[in-house]
Amino acid sequence: MDGAVNAAAWAFDALLVLTLLWLAWRVLMGPDLFKSIVFFIAFGLVMALAWVRLRAPDVALAEAAIGAGLTGALFLAALSRLAAGERIANAKRPVENSDTGKSTRPHRGVRMVFIAMSALFFGGLAAALLSLPAEAPGLTIQVAENLSTSGVSNPVTAVLLNFRGYDTLLEMGVLFLAVVAAWSLTPAPKEPVSPPGIVLASFVRVLSPMLLLAAGYLLWAGTHAPGGAFQAGSVLAAAAVLLLLSGKDMKANWPEWPLRVVLGLGLGVFIAIGLVMMLIGHRFLEYPLDYAGDLILLIEVAATLSIGVTLAALFLGGRPQRDERK
Amino acid sequence: MGTLSPDSPWTIWVIFSPLAGAVFTFLWPRRARLAVPLVALGTVGSVACLVWQVAELGVQSHALGGWAAPLGINLYADGLSAMMLLTTALVGAAVTFYATEYFRRASETARYFWPLWLCLWTALNALFLSWDIFNLYVAFELLGLAAIALVALAGSADALTGAMRYLLVSLLGSLTYLLGVALFYSTYGTLDIGLLGDLTAPSAASWAATGLMVAGLLLKTALFPLHFWLPPAHAAAPTPVSAILSALVVKASFYLLLRLWLEVFPVTAAGLGHLLGLLGALAIVWGSLQALRQTRLKLLVAYSTVAQLGYLFLAFPLALSPVAATAWSASVFFILSHALAKAAMFLAAGNILRFAGHDRIAELGRAPYGVSLSWAAFGVAGISIIGLPPSVGFAAKWLQLEAALAGGQWWWTLPIVGGGLLATAYVFKIISCVFSQNGRTSGTNGISWRMEWTAFGLSLAALGIGFAAPQLLALLNSGTPLALHEVGSAP
Repeated sequence: MDGAVNAAAWAFDALLVLTLLWLAWRVLMGPDLFKSIVFFIAFGLVMALAWVRLRAPDVALAEAAIGAGLTGALFLAALSRLAAGERIANAKRPVENSDTGKSTRPHRGVRMVFIAMSALFFGGLAAALLSLPAEAPGLTIQVAENLSTSGVSNPVTAVLLNFRGYDTLLEMGVLFLAVVAAWSLTPAPKEPVSPPGIVLASFVRVLSPMLLLAAGYLLWAGTHAPGGAFQAGSVLAAAAVLLLLSGKDMKANWPEWPLRVVLGLGLGVFIAIGLVMMLIGHRFLEYPLDYAGDLILLIEVAATLSIGVTLAALFLGGRPQRDERK
Repeated sequence: MGTLSPDSPWTIWVIFSPLAGAVFTFLWPRRARLAVPLVALGTVGSVACLVWQVAELGVQSHALGGWAAPLGINLYADGLSAMMLLTTALVGAAVTFYATEYFRRASETARYFWPLWLCLWTALNALFLSWDIFNLYVAFELLGLAAIALVALAGSADALTGAMRYLLVSLLGSLTYLLGVALFYSTYGTLDIGLLGDLTAPSAASWAATGLMVAGLLLKTALFPLHFWLPPAHAAAPTPVSAILSALVVKASFYLLLRLWLEVFPVTAAGLGHLLGLLGALAIVWGSLQALRQTRLKLLVAYSTVAQLGYLFLAFPLALSPVAATAWSASVFFILSHALAKAAMFLAAGNILRFAGHDRIAELGRAPYGVSLSWAAFGVAGISIIGLPPSVGFAAKWLQLEAALAGGQWWWTLPIVGGGLLATAYVFKIISCVFSQNGRTSGTNGISWRMEWTAFGLSLAALGIGFAAPQLLALLNSGTPLALHEVGSAP
């Protein structure tokens, strides 16, 4: 019986690996960018399954929400702007140089060299990986030993918000920076808002409150089960993207200044709590035992809001237009 | 814990003063003119206090969140970190002062310059203080993204192309580095630099990790022949950004390479050391020759950076001898010297560009009369780049020559001396403009005294800080960062 289950698991894993490789190939090699993006989204979803098989449900959730969902949406938004004026289906990869009609593919010999180098690189890496100890030493034991004093019972949240909270703080900085960078580049394009079809409109009406609920649940669940600020934030962002797609004018409801405040909130609260801990005599970001759970939740609430709004702002693709008329 | 006592955690303030400033200037862009000088003062002040702590009390460390390694992340400041922080603070303060004037008119761009630059400053400081190889990756992400956005701030087609290429290179470098981190973690179960240093031993996985991390960092440091992305990005960026990128950002990845080389990598890397030295020597020659060929001022200065970065790498073979510490110190002095002098050169070039309206070297003939102080800054910074006394560049070259001769590797003196001659040639190519009568440039854009004096001040600092070389050397050796972690540096 056990043998049969094992064989089935092996077969499933093999299928996952082959599907991933095939999808990756299609993403890279397809001539049609739109199809590549669709394959990329599929790749993300299958990758999420792979993470489940590797017993990393937190990563699987993040991969599905951010890797497949939001990154896919960002790619589609970028594609629609690349192909502005053309039909999306016409947006081909720039294989042909349109001016000269000459192929820009590198010479056959050059390609061979690259293939050989890639094979060498891959082989070396594979050899290194196979030489690794079967049981990774890791820090699982230390994490488990200190979990009771971390304020939460989900080890992943304990690592992200307590043991290595500083990493997460800097990651919040990266997200904040991403919005600043996107805003510095260009104003958000004014896209003609076509009235959504009845299906989309009613679908969004039902779905968005449920997404909000799901985000709240993921946030709350993060303390003891897979979930947390990043997953909740990306679900929040998904709701915002749907609302934007269905023609809701967010700018009317979100004047610029409150938007900025929410964008900076996650990072600001994180820094403030870290510094306050230091000023009352602890180390930076060292939570007093009794308040650890509450402080982590506070940080996560702020982070969820910021992450959601950040990802939605990136989807919009530029600073609010309001900036322009001064 | 009082915040002003000698054992107060200045490491934290060094990182979070600029980060808080970044958030503030994003939320209240109109208050930036008021806030930025305060933030810069706070950051420089914190760095000064930390440097004082390191010099007087020795190594400073801070277990973030109260969790010691391997579970948590440590901040760690020794002489090497202190020198890097000090360099960053000097250049950073000058560039901040310059930028308040540079961006005075272009309000829309200026709005985003401040949060981006303060994030970049944060990333640099975080990088120099982090003692955890994964945390260093996060700091790199922050650094790279900020640097790329700053290049793109110029808005021209050149700048956007340069920024795009920079983005791809930077991501490739980061991911390669991250792959190495993953390999180290799965082999040794820790990310802490100190603990890793005790554990690493030659094995297939740790060699692969070393190779990946070195490759990623070389790409980010733009060592020949991986320098292709640097000149377009550095030349097309807005002037203060060019200065920051050339003076500081490429040094950050070199710093990390040096740190990991000394602390983490399994030490038998003699062959790799010679290879890095050889590439460094080629960078000196190739970068200088390219600089000589350029017809645009900013591109010339950017290629000079490619050449000067080569000197940093000569330390890797030179340190394979009993005089390793001298060789490493030379590289750190080069970092300081090049940071100050190159920032001065880029700021001066930016002044000339803005004054004349172009930077075609052949047509700059009459530009000197409007921006004479900027030309003077160019000349004085040239003294450091060439490596003449009393500049700190001279001290660096002196240490390097000493390491080459005392270590019995005389052949490395050839690129050191030859590079100086080539540098003389390209510096004179520019300076000779002042004495030519070609061109009909009559500048119309006034350059404020602040912009001119910042460039000139930086060039004087590059010259004058050489007098403090003994004190700097003492600071650098606090906590003996330059001693190899394991015995057996010789092959």
